[in-house]
Amino acid sequence: MKRIYAFEERCLNCRLCEVACKTAHSKSGDTFKAYMLENALPGRVHVEGDNQLSVAVNCRHCSHPNCVSGCISGALSKDPVTGIVTCDTAKCVACRTCVAMCPFGAVTVIEKAHKCDLCTTGHGNGDPACVRACINGALIFVESDEEQVKAVEDNVSGRGL
Amino acid sequence: MAVKYLVLGNSSAACAAVDAIRENDPEGSITMCSPEPYNAYGTPLVSYVVKGTSTLETAYIRKEEWYQRHKITRLFGPGKAGVKLDAAAHTVTLEDGTQIEYEKCLVATGSVPFTPPFKGLPENALNRFTFLTMDKALGVNAYIAKLKEEKGADYPVKAVVIGGGLIGGKAAEGLAYRCDSVTVLEFAPRMLQAVLDDKGSAMLQDKWREHGVTPMPGYTTELIYTNNDGTLVTGCNLVQVKYGDDGKPYTEQVGSLECNILITAVGVRPNSAILVEAGAEQGRGIICDKHMATSLPDVYAAGDLTSVHNTLTGGEAPLALWPNANAQGRVAGCAMSGDMEHTYNGSFAINAVGFFDDVSILSCGVNPRDNEMDQYEVKLYVDEEKCQYVRFVCKDGLLYGYILMNRPDGAGIYSQVIRERIPLSELPADVFERPIQELDLPMYFRKRNMRKGFDGGEA
Repeated sequence: MKRIYAFEERCLNCRLCEVACKTAHSKSGDTFKAYMLENALPGRVHVEGDNQLSVAVNCRHCSHPNCVSGCISGALSKDPVTGIVTCDTAKCVACRTCVAMCPFGAVTVIEKAHKCDLCTTGHGNGDPACVRACINGALIFVESDEEQVKAVEDNVSGRGL
Repeated sequence: MAVKYLVLGNSSAACAAVDAIRENDPEGSITMCSPEPYNAYGTPLVSYVVKGTSTLETAYIRKEEWYQRHKITRLFGPGKAGVKLDAAAHTVTLEDGTQIEYEKCLVATGSVPFTPPFKGLPENALNRFTFLTMDKALGVNAYIAKLKEEKGADYPVKAVVIGGGLIGGKAAEGLAYRCDSVTVLEFAPRMLQAVLDDKGSAMLQDKWREHGVTPMPGYTTELIYTNNDGTLVTGCNLVQVKYGDDGKPYTEQVGSLECNILITAVGVRPNSAILVEAGAEQGRGIICDKHMATSLPDVYAAGDLTSVHNTLTGGEAPLALWPNANAQGRVAGCAMSGDMEHTYNGSFAINAVGFFDDVSILSCGVNPRDNEMDQYEVKLYVDEEKCQYVRFVCKDGLLYGYILMNRPDGAGIYSQVIRERIPLSELPADVFERPIQELDLPMYFRKRNMRKGFDGGEA
């Protein structure tokens, strides 16, 4: 499946990905309204670190996700066809087992489990909003086979340039 | 009847096994048996059903469509528990007499409540419940509704919960939304004694009180009172647990409690009788190899009833937790359908429990008993105002366990540090006093995390 890969070497700590995610998942799809009027939930990607070193962390959509295997309510599931891991908030009981299970810190609970859906639940088109918003190539959306990722890795580190 | 795969049980481990079987064998016949009449639901959700935030309809973990897509024959409901397994003949007999011949059998029947004999407690009192299954939660709700209907909406409903562990605590939380008073009796000197220490438990108990639950640590009951014909529990005596000079506990009657709902949540034990009687090797739970095969040919076990190798302590004991059941079920299903690549090599506890939407307790790894504490280096961060209680236990330069009360951020990354034995010397010094982040992990490790190894791995 296609996944988002984050590269700390290229991350500027600008947090545009967070803005784009919040906007994409807001009712209006408008940044101003999302922030100022709708009280929309925070972005599902979060940038860690500071101006020295930063990286945008989001869900890895694991093949056998720990969050899903730990989910006591059946709210978290991995789509058998697309591979995308999503949360059915109507079922979630906010127990936070997923928070203790996810090795990447990519699931938070804001009333309900809150995580990346790869912009597939009607919010985006094409690449996920965070990837489209990234101005420095620190987030890419590619098929997750090793060769592709390696090629990008070389490119990022300058070896492939 | 004859089937290729017979699965006794219909919860986390059983469903994970069926998923794995179907990955390898799309057509082999599968029959699942369970004494409960429902499609699989999240067992830990029963307290939320009493609380009113989940219902039978929202608590499912597998939909009707899942059973149909996987072509599963369902034998669910009263009489459908497996009672006899003949490993040589490859047959299982159900309680209602149905005999099923299998090629491979998985026993994933979980835990059953363990209730010590309480003097005066009738077997079938209408207002006494254990608290492990959906039927009990629905029974509690129906009983309270009936009581209110018969006696009026103002009629005081008083609940007593015997046992202040995870199950008793969650029962008390749920009951607080439906009852006028809830009292929890716990023999040990604190609530959630296996999860929290005295200080953390005291903070939790304060929160319970705010929400109308009265914790009574160090108290229990030895006599249950009933109405004349023994159909209803009406109360119990109250005894205080005291300790003699030799440190041994003794009890002293100090009063009595009235109640019209009684929950017994003293403990659980592996629901493994069918395997034990068939001759399967057992320790504190059923003993399995790395493919979850029992000592009986073509018979597998997964979930709460198995003995688990603790990868942190080396101990062998049941680990009755949801993620573990899922991981074991998957491995069993793989092996049953010929995929011997996946193995289960033991695990350790990861658990989350919340109370009243303002207490979240995440715990992971080793939780030393009070008398083992001196073997560990303890890092403790307490903020009473925020009801934050954060404790890490370390040994030999490694993190062994955590308790995070109301500081959940980064919990899964701490779990990863424990699981992968990442040396503390490779982490920043302040990594415990504030929530850990992905960037705190050593570079070699986080790059692997972010770019490779998307398999996710087992719990």
